[in-house]
Amino acid sequence: MRLQTVGKRYGVRQPWVVRDVSADLPAGRLIRVEGRNGSGKSTLLRVVAGVTAASAGRVTGRPAHTGYVPERFPGGLPFSGREYLLHMARVHGLRGLAGVGAVDEWLDRLGAAGYADQPLRSLSKGMCQKIAISQALLPRPGLLVLDEAWTGLDQAARGALDAAATERAAAGGTVLFVDHDPGRLAGHADERWRLDGDGRVTILPGDNAPRLAQRAGDPAGGSAEDSARGPARGPRRGTVEDSARGPADGLVVTIELAGVEDGSVSRLATLPGVLDCAGTVLGWAGTGNRVVRVAAGHSDDVLREVLAWDGVRVVSVAPDGAR
Amino acid sequence: MSALLRYQAAILLRSHRWIFPLIAYGLLISVGAAGSSSLAETLDWSAAMLVPIVAFLTRAMLTAEPDAARACVAAAAGTVKAQLATLLVALGGGALLGLAGICFGLLTAEPPTTGTGPTDKLAAIAGHPGIVVAGLLTALVCLFVGSAVGALFNPPLLRHPGAAMLATLAAAVFGLASDVSPAGAALRFTSQTASPVAAHWPGSFPLVAAVCLVAVTWAASTYAASRRDTRSRAEG
Repeated sequence: MRLQTVGKRYGVRQPWVVRDVSADLPAGRLIRVEGRNGSGKSTLLRVVAGVTAASAGRVTGRPAHTGYVPERFPGGLPFSGREYLLHMARVHGLRGLAGVGAVDEWLDRLGAAGYADQPLRSLSKGMCQKIAISQALLPRPGLLVLDEAWTGLDQAARGALDAAATERAAAGGTVLFVDHDPGRLAGHADERWRLDGDGRVTILPGDNAPRLAQRAGDPAGGSAEDSARGPARGPRRGTVEDSARGPADGLVVTIELAGVEDGSVSRLATLPGVLDCAGTVLGWAGTGNRVVRVAAGHSDDVLREVLAWDGVRVVSVAPDGAR
Repeated sequence: MSALLRYQAAILLRSHRWIFPLIAYGLLISVGAAGSSSLAETLDWSAAMLVPIVAFLTRAMLTAEPDAARACVAAAAGTVKAQLATLLVALGGGALLGLAGICFGLLTAEPPTTGTGPTDKLAAIAGHPGIVVAGLLTALVCLFVGSAVGALFNPPLLRHPGAAMLATLAAAVFGLASDVSPAGAALRFTSQTASPVAAHWPGSFPLVAAVCLVAVTWAASTYAASRRDTRSRAEG
């Protein structure tokens, strides 16, 4: 996904809220957006999420599924939380049992299952926020945009949302978030986009030092440009170039999958590019996670395939040997 | 798209925003039926009343969803589809009302044939399909004009509630009274030839014009929706 000199103003005579933003948002990147109140953070997030169109420039390559969590979600709809989520699951393209399963899973993970059958109007702010977060995560979106989504959540739900955001990035999704807590997702942000008050964005390296260092030293990262990205890099205005992500032949990616049934392992082994899927490791839920080694050129296809399988979750994707 | 239509239809049903248009339309066509002397007149009246009713039903749908919920749907499905689904559900609701109005007219109005004709009312009507077809097509034109008025003078194009409601009402009256409007033209034509046997459809011009009007106003509404200022407070 890419932003090309994107600008936004709400009317021809209005000032530019956001201007001249050019950036790449490659798969798997977790981006923190920061700035003072009124600096245009929410507007930038809305343009990225496709909630409102850019007034100038172009947004291209937005992933198929986008989840957006607004900063406030007043329960003004005539549904219960579960009914609303089932509608949203269908809107996201999840039909029948797939939608029901996704709704139950996210209500459960965010601790909202007990209140899901009450009317949205009667729910507390925190509970409404959980419903709003659930609707965004239902389709395991390729682009997740969180506008102060943590506000009003209890501690357990904040943790669950942290986990969901990093999980999305690990599975190849792009995540953008704004939060007033400077410690939010500390150690996970690949980039920080700072809005300077004039509507322009300065792109700074994030605090995900291990990952950046790993990327810099990893031949799968590819280009010299990518290697140059690291904690030591200075601030840079405008575009972050991210040249071809397709690595040269012979490179291997390790994918850790949860929820692969034993019966599906042979099917996994027959996917093009899979070198080895015999290994397992202990997952955090105490279950055995399957470790699959894939030729880097085929990793996208393999991920796409297994994400379509029932119950399978991508726990991590890493260059071989990095784990 | 079907998921969006289902979502919007559920909002319409569950929010009870259909009750006011239904009651208002029922009252209007009852009053009209009492004052009409023929089937053609009754059908014209029930078609004409669709213009304001569908305009306000469209307004009801365009203002039903909170901004935050609309933003979530827009991210999930795109602003264009989301807006079209909203307008389509209002149009569908109006179509149901229009059909109910026509059925009401057929059941209550004086049969077009008197004296020597068959005594059974529906059989008498069946002998004059031209009146019914003209009534149906006039209702269709009025349905489209009502939808166009609702789309043009309500959010996101016209956001101030008072101005929007007054403009919607004024435009609906103008749409009925003026020959410039396809609805006005269609009604005037059938009224002039309301001799029961000779009632004919006035030609395709009003229908084509009404379809064009809907296309233009829906496109404008959708364009505005895709650039909507969804900020709920001063912070950008």
